[in-house]
Amino acid sequence: MRLFNRIWSRTASYIILLAFTAFFVVPVIWLLFAPFKTDHNLVFQNPFALGSLGNLFHAAHVMFTFEDYALLNWLKNSAIYSFGGIVIALICSIPAGYGLAHTQFIGRRTLLGVTLFVMIMPATALVLPLFLEANAVHAVGTPLAVILPFSFFPFGVYLAYIFYSSSVPKDLLAAARIDGCNEWDVFRRIALPLARPIIALVTFFAFVANWNNFFLPFVMLPNSTNYPLPIGLQDLLSATPAFNPGQGGQVPIYRPELAIATIVAMAPVMIVFLFAQRSLVSGLLAGATKE
Amino acid sequence: MAPVSLEKLTKVYPNGFEAVHEFNLEVADGEFMILVGPSGCGKTTAMRMVAGLEEITSGVLRINGEVMNDVSPRDRDIAMVFQNYALYPHMTVGENIGFALKMKHTPKAEIEKKVRETTEILGLTEWIDRKPGQLSGGQRQRVAMGRAIVREPKVFLMDEPLSNLDAKLRVQMRAEVARIQRRLGVATIYVTHDQVEAMTMGDRVAVMRAGLVLQCDKPQTIYDHPLNLFVAGFMGSPSMNLFEARLSEGSTTLFLGTQRIVLPPTVLTAKPSLAQFANRDVVVGIRPESLAVAGTATGERPEDLIFFEGDVDLVEALGSEILVHFSTDALRVEAEGMYSDDAEGLNAGSITQRGEGVARVSPETQVVIGEHVRLQVNPKRLFFFDPTSGLALTE
Repeated sequence: MRLFNRIWSRTASYIILLAFTAFFVVPVIWLLFAPFKTDHNLVFQNPFALGSLGNLFHAAHVMFTFEDYALLNWLKNSAIYSFGGIVIALICSIPAGYGLAHTQFIGRRTLLGVTLFVMIMPATALVLPLFLEANAVHAVGTPLAVILPFSFFPFGVYLAYIFYSSSVPKDLLAAARIDGCNEWDVFRRIALPLARPIIALVTFFAFVANWNNFFLPFVMLPNSTNYPLPIGLQDLLSATPAFNPGQGGQVPIYRPELAIATIVAMAPVMIVFLFAQRSLVSGLLAGATKE
Repeated sequence: MAPVSLEKLTKVYPNGFEAVHEFNLEVADGEFMILVGPSGCGKTTAMRMVAGLEEITSGVLRINGEVMNDVSPRDRDIAMVFQNYALYPHMTVGENIGFALKMKHTPKAEIEKKVRETTEILGLTEWIDRKPGQLSGGQRQRVAMGRAIVREPKVFLMDEPLSNLDAKLRVQMRAEVARIQRRLGVATIYVTHDQVEAMTMGDRVAVMRAGLVLQCDKPQTIYDHPLNLFVAGFMGSPSMNLFEARLSEGSTTLFLGTQRIVLPPTVLTAKPSLAQFANRDVVVGIRPESLAVAGTATGERPEDLIFFEGDVDLVEALGSEILVHFSTDALRVEAEGMYSDDAEGLNAGSITQRGEGVARVSPETQVVIGEHVRLQVNPKRLFFFDPTSGLALTE
């Protein structure tokens, strides 16, 4: 009886897990297979049917050369905006977290509270005031209008604060001061090198957020040559006959081409994840163990 | 000129707590000075003020004659060993030890030479390329020592450097630290709550409690002539037996609970101030090693000894000696905050309970639990304290 129960509960849990796996994995497999097929095959063939390399090359050629390499331009724009924002975010958030964790100053608690507050505020809510601000200084339509708002990353400050207050003992900094460091040296030679996992963590989260951000660049950048990938893709979607049969007749972009564009949009996140992965795990565990 | 001099050094925290009160101390060249006391007594705060990690509220700190109150830690020419070692986790052993030299822009070749010498002294040579995370507790402790000695500073500060080691290693490192200090001859302030370290390592010991220095002297002097109840109880392990007793008219007889002990006249001649306590309560202190079971040959004439009785509660045979725990009907006195691991004890006041005591006797002694024993002690070895002020009656 007991054995039966155990087998039954095992089986049930496997069924549930498999169902969820299928639900999430099937679309990804479909997407990876899509560029190998023709538009017609995609619709009428079995979803897991294999296509041909010829189809892939054709779709890739069409997609990349479309409108004078627009896809690569969007990719470049996305990279500039994302990494530009990350660099400024790192330069600001790591020292800020360190300061909040290891120095005493008037308003420290308030600042920490404000950091938490803006962290939970949805980024979209700020888009309109940011637009008005950018407009006032005539920055709308320039890369800065995207990079500067991207560099505002309170979550990074919070992560750095948590890391420094839980994983870097005050005595370590005191030891450095006695060993001859001034405050800048303490940060640069001790606190900063120790923050490597946190830098990876902030980079990863900021990258995902910036790369996928749609609304802010959509509002800030009126000109299609400045588009980052998500907006370019959206533009493309609305112009294809597959999604918009009425007016998209002339654009030679069909579903296999769109699948390639989507994969290109996803790939950098995967690549950054692979690089950051090792540090990510140790970063997430930081503070769990005491040295 | 003393390398370190503290003049009425006081630390008051913003919340009003006074951690150190008018601390006066002179550490001579090459002297090994120990600050000992229960946790929360202000010893670490005092040391951190010397290091510059804690602001000085009032008083004057001088290192080599120069006032250091507002000098930053890096300019004080001190080296410190922290309780948790505070090694830089991202640097190797060699880099950790050489870090201070690097910050002083010492030429690379010289850094390498000095680091090599230091690792040789400490037996760390084969670990020089390891990171602290790959070292054992004892090795980390040695790296922390290495980081301090490589700099050849004016002053060493050590904040409970051995307290994270296991018992065996602690005994070993105790001797090693003391040896290194003697060899380098650098003035050292060493903070500990362990009275054994205080007794064995230092040239002088300052016993602290609640921000005050109660006594500062050579360890043996403190042991032999404690100035007050707290110091008497704190120094020595097992600690001194302290009983409440009453002196008779003329201070010739001591009433210990229901027992009546006639004191030989020599006691009163040695401590004439006892006369003031005639017909009054007094605290009697007896070191465990001063006690023996009656009849044991101690080389003293029986007529020189006094005797009292107790019931044996527990016998701990340690091989080289036996600890006999006994109880009498006299009240036992515990000095406030006497136990180092009991910070609350600081405010608990003196606790009295059924008079338990400990005798440290020779291993040949035959005692069994439950036995009623007669204990002997030479009255010369008795300590007397004023029960109200806690001060020792020294003369």
